[in-house]
Amino acid sequence: MSFEPKILGIACNWCTYTGADLAGTTRLQYPQNLRVVRVMCSSRINPSFIFRAFQLGADGVLIGGCHPGDCHYNTGNLYARRRLAVTKKILEFSGLEPGRFRVEWISASEGNKFAEVVTEFTAQIKSLGPQTKFKISQ
Amino acid sequence: MTISFKQIEEKLKTEAKRLLESGQASVVLAYGKGYDEKHPMPYVARNPSDVANIVFNEYCNYNMARYLVRYPAGTKIAVAVKAADSRAVIQLIQEEKVKREDLVLLGIPVYGMKNPKTQEIIDGKTTGGLYNPVLYDILLGDEVHGQAIQSPYDVLAAYELMDKEARFAFWKKEFDKCIRCYACRKACPMCYCDPCFIDQNKPKWGDKSPQSHGNLMYHLTRFHHLAGRCIDCGECSRACPVDIPLYLFHKKVAKECEEMFGQAAGMSIEDKPALVNFRVDDSDKILE
Ligand code: SF4
Ligand code: SF4
Ligand code: FES
Repeated sequence: MSFEPKILGIACNWCTYTGADLAGTTRLQYPQNLRVVRVMCSSRINPSFIFRAFQLGADGVLIGGCHPGDCHYNTGNLYARRRLAVTKKILEFSGLEPGRFRVEWISASEGNKFAEVVTEFTAQIKSLGPQTKFKISQ
Repeated sequence: MTISFKQIEEKLKTEAKRLLESGQASVVLAYGKGYDEKHPMPYVARNPSDVANIVFNEYCNYNMARYLVRYPAGTKIAVAVKAADSRAVIQLIQEEKVKREDLVLLGIPVYGMKNPKTQEIIDGKTTGGLYNPVLYDILLGDEVHGQAIQSPYDVLAAYELMDKEARFAFWKKEFDKCIRCYACRKACPMCYCDPCFIDQNKPKWGDKSPQSHGNLMYHLTRFHHLAGRCIDCGECSRACPVDIPLYLFHKKVAKECEEMFGQAAGMSIEDKPALVNFRVDDSDKILE
């Protein structure tokens, strides 16, 4: 059987999640490997969510937020950008493949971009194969 | 030039006595005798008569800034600070944990401090390559000059060269040794959260028993929480009973933060901690 990755998406309510909705209502096709969790803002994302997701078996984690300057709480994603950049460096230095974690700014009107990003990211995770380093073995 | 530890000790005693007698400080955080010369202890002098117990030698590595947050706001505290320790004080001021006006900083310019376990000289390896305190009120000795200043990040080179498989194997082996005694967080001046995330039950972020996955969660999250805040004193690593080189990871994160945000932790009381700050023109490149 071919490898079907499990990808956790964490999307902010106001932009990326709405963008995902738009992708759906416009019937855009994208891989079904992404499971999206909605948060109110990208700055709501505690980096431990990401570590935990990898421990619980995620093969990739995709974060989506409003474009910088467009956050509905004004500055949330400007803090999040710094914080998630650190998360990325930590994952990298710990030896996880850096390609398994990605942050994208996708607005409510960018249904196309949402579908493209998910398609591309899923392909990338497929080529990386199953994530075993952080995964808690049963 | 050599450092006279005895001279620093005498000056430390004199100043501590003066501050306690005049009431400028109600406690002095310094070092006291341990069971032998190599194991001095953190020491708190409260009365002028306590001052006789103060010692200073090349094993006085403890970062006494660790104890600042334990006193009620408004307590007048004098604290002995070496280079890295002074950065911890600055960082705590930035984080509004202590007030500059409540503190008297007894700066200790020093090099040649030693790790009592290995006898290794720790300068440059863990103390950010600094010898003189960044901030002080009274300097107990002359500024140190002429010592080779190493980049605090030099020691990272070998680890940065490793491929990700080797690096993962390296850290897995190290984290698997962890017995979850939490000496690292106890020693750390910047670990003041109560409760620590790992002690929370709802949500339970990671297993509390010393197993691979809980250890990984504890350490990666702790590195994250110290990002832009770790001042490279190295105390976490020296406190660790199983010698996990935590300082390497902290240094790596510090280096990345300095590159991305243009500021090192604890260097100026005017700064804001990098992760509770942003610039509108921060580049998206940092996410790549
Ligand atoms: S993490 Fe370690 S090196 Fe950094 S401030 Fe805390 S004790 Fe010092
Ligand atoms: S001091 Fe060492 S053994 Fe103790 S919790 Fe920290 S890393 Fe683990
Ligand atoms: S609301 Fe979308 S990133 Fe803050």
